[in-house]
Amino acid sequence: MTQLVLFNVFNGLIIGAFYALMALGLSLIMNLSGVINFAHGGFLAIGAYIAYMLMPYVGFWGGLLLAPVLTAAIGLVVERVLIRRLYGRDPLYSLLLTFGLAFMLEDGTRYIWGAQSLPYQVPAILTTPLSRDYFFLTGYRVFMVVLVALVVGALFVILNHTRLGMRIRAGTLDLETVSVLGVNVRLLRNLNFGLGIYLAGLAGVLAAGMLGLQPTIGSSLIMPSFVAIIVGGLGSLPGTLLGGLLIGVASGVTTVFVPSASEAVMYVMMGLVLLVRPRGLLGEEGRF
Amino acid sequence: MPSIKLPRHVGDAVVWLVLLTMPYWMQYVHGYTELASRIIVAGLAAMALNFLLGYTGVLSFGHAAYFGLGAYGVGMTLRYLVPSTGLGMLVGILVGTVAAALIGPLIARLRGVYFAMVTIAFGQVFYFIAFRWNSVTGGDDGLTGWRRLPIDFGIGTLDIAGNDKAFYYFALAIFALCVGAMALLLRSPFGRTLLAIRENERRARFLGIPVDRHIWMSWVISCFFVSVAGTLYALINNFVDPRALRWDQSGNFVIMAVLGGMRSFWGPLIGAAIFVALQDYVSSETENWMSFIGLFFVLVVLFFPRGILGMIRARRAA
Amino acid sequence: MSLLEIRGLSKSFGSLVAVKEVSLAVEAGVFQAIIGPNGAGKSTVFNLISGLYRPTTGSIVFDGVDVTGLVPERRVARGMARTFQITEICPELTVGMNLCIGVEVAGGFRLRPWLSRAETAANVARVDELAAMVGLTDKIDRFVGELSHGDQRAVEIGMALALRPKLLLLDEPTAGMGDQETEVIAELMQRLHRTHGMTIVLIEHDMEIVFRLADRIAVLDRGAVLATGTPHEIAADEAVQAAYLGRQEA
Repeated sequence: MTQLVLFNVFNGLIIGAFYALMALGLSLIMNLSGVINFAHGGFLAIGAYIAYMLMPYVGFWGGLLLAPVLTAAIGLVVERVLIRRLYGRDPLYSLLLTFGLAFMLEDGTRYIWGAQSLPYQVPAILTTPLSRDYFFLTGYRVFMVVLVALVVGALFVILNHTRLGMRIRAGTLDLETVSVLGVNVRLLRNLNFGLGIYLAGLAGVLAAGMLGLQPTIGSSLIMPSFVAIIVGGLGSLPGTLLGGLLIGVASGVTTVFVPSASEAVMYVMMGLVLLVRPRGLLGEEGRF
Repeated sequence: MPSIKLPRHVGDAVVWLVLLTMPYWMQYVHGYTELASRIIVAGLAAMALNFLLGYTGVLSFGHAAYFGLGAYGVGMTLRYLVPSTGLGMLVGILVGTVAAALIGPLIARLRGVYFAMVTIAFGQVFYFIAFRWNSVTGGDDGLTGWRRLPIDFGIGTLDIAGNDKAFYYFALAIFALCVGAMALLLRSPFGRTLLAIRENERRARFLGIPVDRHIWMSWVISCFFVSVAGTLYALINNFVDPRALRWDQSGNFVIMAVLGGMRSFWGPLIGAAIFVALQDYVSSETENWMSFIGLFFVLVVLFFPRGILGMIRARRAA
Repeated sequence: MSLLEIRGLSKSFGSLVAVKEVSLAVEAGVFQAIIGPNGAGKSTVFNLISGLYRPTTGSIVFDGVDVTGLVPERRVARGMARTFQITEICPELTVGMNLCIGVEVAGGFRLRPWLSRAETAANVARVDELAAMVGLTDKIDRFVGELSHGDQRAVEIGMALALRPKLLLLDEPTAGMGDQETEVIAELMQRLHRTHGMTIVLIEHDMEIVFRLADRIAVLDRGAVLATGTPHEIAADEAVQAAYLGRQEA
């Protein structure tokens, strides 16, 4: 029994790390620019498919390195060309725009690569279990957790110890003042968006290795990111991280006892949070 | 400056004339009666959403949930409970409205994009239920094994099952009742408090309007009418599947309202007509119609943010 | 008993103390002015009185009832109305509509799905009355967003008056206005006070108006009350002169 619980909790933690990775990108963009990037799932899928295309040339590791960067580049262009026009306006429009982008990205990936699952090869060293007793500790799973931890750590280092990061954080609180202080707000938003998309692309590459590669990979992961942000708290990145991990673990634990409810539990958590503390666990007051 | 000009009588008359005669001229524009019914249903849904979006200024992106609840309600009633269209519709409307009324307090305190996000998430809750509970709802395959039944009014039977035109006029009658009620509410003191909330929430609060409560009321009213649209939707197809509840359906309603003009009463109907016709045409031409719809969204946002009626008004005022 | 009594009101934002132990009593029918340098905490006091902020310490008693815990809507319902430094009106609605909403809410109609002919007529008459009071009769069908700054202020005051308030809080109503517009607002305030007996609390920088219209003046400096008294007393007060009036150029 303990094996089973541990397995599911660990699994939940991995899934949670995943949700957190994606949600962090979404949260970054939302906090600074007030845009809900509904196309985030689409970018996740693009990251995965780019890695798939690069695989024959640069292998798994090359794909892991390059695909998120390329995806982020696409993100920078999208921000520059489309999203930038909508900043001053009613948030309705940027949401509609990203909705439209999400449609196009999902359908586009289906058109180019087909609707079936594509095989995504993960290096053999990662697929072997690390321990005989704990068979579920496959190298890939551990690798994912470690990688996500590293990336999240790097993100927090960037945000707290670099000039860009400081400007992003300041801009999240008061963009007008930051602009008056001479910071190029356009560039800041652009880079921030790119950073968020980088995280989405990375999540995509990792997801492909674990879940397989299909066009719907993005839209199936975007809802948990939303819930992670709602649970963890609007405007708070640590909150988003916490939210993602919490719903992952909760879902993992629920699988042991009531398997069919494992997906539903995150919505139950969301409902509870909204009832008791609408701003989220670590959310800031007055954000909405 | 764009404004709420409550419908002038000439505009109204034209709209009703067009609607009343639609089955007869549809064929000349490559249409068919069932398409006309779809337009009415989508129009009702978009206008219901606009009660909240255009008139109260609240960003709801999850309306498909209550639309879908209405649809599943009528379908499940007809399949499992009672062979009565009327009763099925009542059940569907009740389920959709009650769900909205219960969820309302959880979200009435939220605003802006956060509100939108949460409505999307709640929309997904119902999608997920419809998808998973496949023993009852049929899951991804949808709810089948039922169909709309002729309605017995005592004095006569309306064969909405066999006769497309009869169904159209039935749907139109329901539409007329709903739209009339909405117009009444929007022209009332209550409706004006919603305008105040849209225009300046702080001022509304300092006039003594309990804003959260009024938003909740507007939310429930809006979801009530959208669930009516949902019941009609299910009845057109004799089929419901989880796609009726999905986020893209919610987005469709919003784009219809925006395309036609959020700040006008009939705008969403016009947007719905264009959208439904476009979707019908594109999906018959290509499998990748979703990309085109997505592109359509992007173009509307970039070039028609005020919508068609909004642009006409602005031009007239200039 | 005073109409409005604030006792030991303090408000801190983190480590910043915006308002420090402010106490003030306003009797019914009195025209009370609050003056002081920028940043003295005047608007914050208004925000506390009207319920936009919760005080860190202290209490607010309005018309005999402790309203410290009430949300703004409830205080408005009890007879408090206010205007804002940055005018808060409904820009895409007409002047008439703005006033009408105020009239309808004040009349208890805010939940009504319809009005009888008599009720509508009464409301329309009241809207006309208010428009006349603030001098906007000929602009009643104009969209408020298109009006001049001064006219928008007038609409806001009209909306506040629609509520038939016991207490009117006006936050710098003449800020950014030319002489003529300022005079119009000043005359309106005087009429409301002298003819209609309204209790008014006014935040102002225009000293000429303050000394002309106010019965009592409270001077705030750095969040605390520096002095209170009649205009005569305040003008003679040395501390006030040093802190504020001496530096005033009005």
